[in-house]
Amino acid sequence: MEVFLDIIGYVPVVFCVINAILYLGKYKLNNKAFKYFAIYLGLIAVIQLSAIFLGRVLGQHNLFLFHFYLILQFIFLSFFYGYLLKKIWIYKVLIFVLLVLAYQYFETPSLFFIYNAFGVALTQGILVIYALIYFYNFIKGDAEFLLVNIGLFFYLLSSILIFASGNLIFDLKEVFKFGYKLLMDLNDVLYFGLQILIFVEWLKNYSQVKIK
Amino acid sequence: MVEELFTGENQIVSIILIAIGLLVFMAIAIVLFFYSSRKRIIKSELEKANLEIDHQKMILQSVIVTQEEERKRIAQDMHDAISSKLNVVSLNANTLTEDDITIEETNKIAISILKITNTVLESSRKIAHDLLPPILEKFGLKAALEELCEEIYETKKYESTYQLNYKENFLIPNHELHVFRIVQELINNTIKHSDATDFSLILKTEENHLSLQYEDNGKGFNLKKLKKAKGLGMSGIENRVLILNGDLHIDSKLGAGLKIYIEINSS
Repeated sequence: MEVFLDIIGYVPVVFCVINAILYLGKYKLNNKAFKYFAIYLGLIAVIQLSAIFLGRVLGQHNLFLFHFYLILQFIFLSFFYGYLLKKIWIYKVLIFVLLVLAYQYFETPSLFFIYNAFGVALTQGILVIYALIYFYNFIKGDAEFLLVNIGLFFYLLSSILIFASGNLIFDLKEVFKFGYKLLMDLNDVLYFGLQILIFVEWLKNYSQVKIK
Repeated sequence: MVEELFTGENQIVSIILIAIGLLVFMAIAIVLFFYSSRKRIIKSELEKANLEIDHQKMILQSVIVTQEEERKRIAQDMHDAISSKLNVVSLNANTLTEDDITIEETNKIAISILKITNTVLESSRKIAHDLLPPILEKFGLKAALEELCEEIYETKKYESTYQLNYKENFLIPNHELHVFRIVQELINNTIKHSDATDFSLILKTEENHLSLQYEDNGKGFNLKKLKKAKGLGMSGIENRVLILNGDLHIDSKLGAGLKIYIEINSS
């Protein structure tokens, strides 16, 4: 059973890599929003693979990769929504948040080895707001990336709590082994949902070459 | 396993899980809300579009009906004023070819032919003029409207006052024709239906704005009835104002004459 669950745990990662390859494959044919999103998927896939490599193969500490995940996700999804929503202030927010995070990491370098609960809440919360604005803007008609937007909205909103409570659970990992596992599995399930939506979006809108 | 989750220190985990569950639930609710409102909005937009299409169909229909009426009128005019008279000319000319007619008779017939041809010429000129007044093309809207008002005035049946302050080339020629047709139709209505003795026309252009005001002192009409049964003339005027991207305002009551304002902004 344990082994089975372990293997299941890899499914979202495999999906993530597949999605990254699919999206990067159509990189040249599509607009800027698509390009930002493809780069985001590619980077996340690399981070996931290196996390597995470091953690499971070499048996080393891999939590610091989470910070890369957090910051790169925020940068590229900000560009993604900045292009889709056509709002200059999104870029200003991006710069401001990056400055805040830089200050935070500079002040407490030890943060690097635990979950950054504040950073998660700040960046993912802002991205959730962008997703909401995107919903609102396109309530009137069809828009590209609606499925992706739904996926991001779900995952970013629900994973805020998972990552924000990460430290607490992680510290008490030995005592709360079952709880910790449950939380991580839940994250896997939600992440899998996001990847499936991203995959369906690709299948629906980008799998065939568009005739202009 | 489940019991373990709700006892002792594991409670923290369960609280977090419940909170995550709530967040997921909220996310689902928001997405469903957006989707259902989107559906509703699209539905109402569709209805609006359908309404618009119906309206366009109505316009098209009235355009076709007007066209047919106009054809009928032209055919009638041509038949009455030209064909029948040319028939007489043809008969007379035929008589000329006969051998046994005297010179006097020939002269008489020739004079008659000349007279008839002149009236036919005059009629055909008039018909052509009615179809498209050459003055509009040559001298512009102001001159054409002036001529129109003068013509009515000359009948001595109407008191007409007009004040035309039109800046040349304010509208493109095509649109000038629409304005001319509108005024023509208004005057026609006044003559045909209103029993008026007096009408006035004011046309003004300012920077990028044209206003047209038309009034008569006839018997007027009930606006509600007009909306229900749009006479061809009135809907023609409405359509032309629509093409000109203008606003039409009609003010009339039974027994209180008619006032019409048209405002057009030049693009």
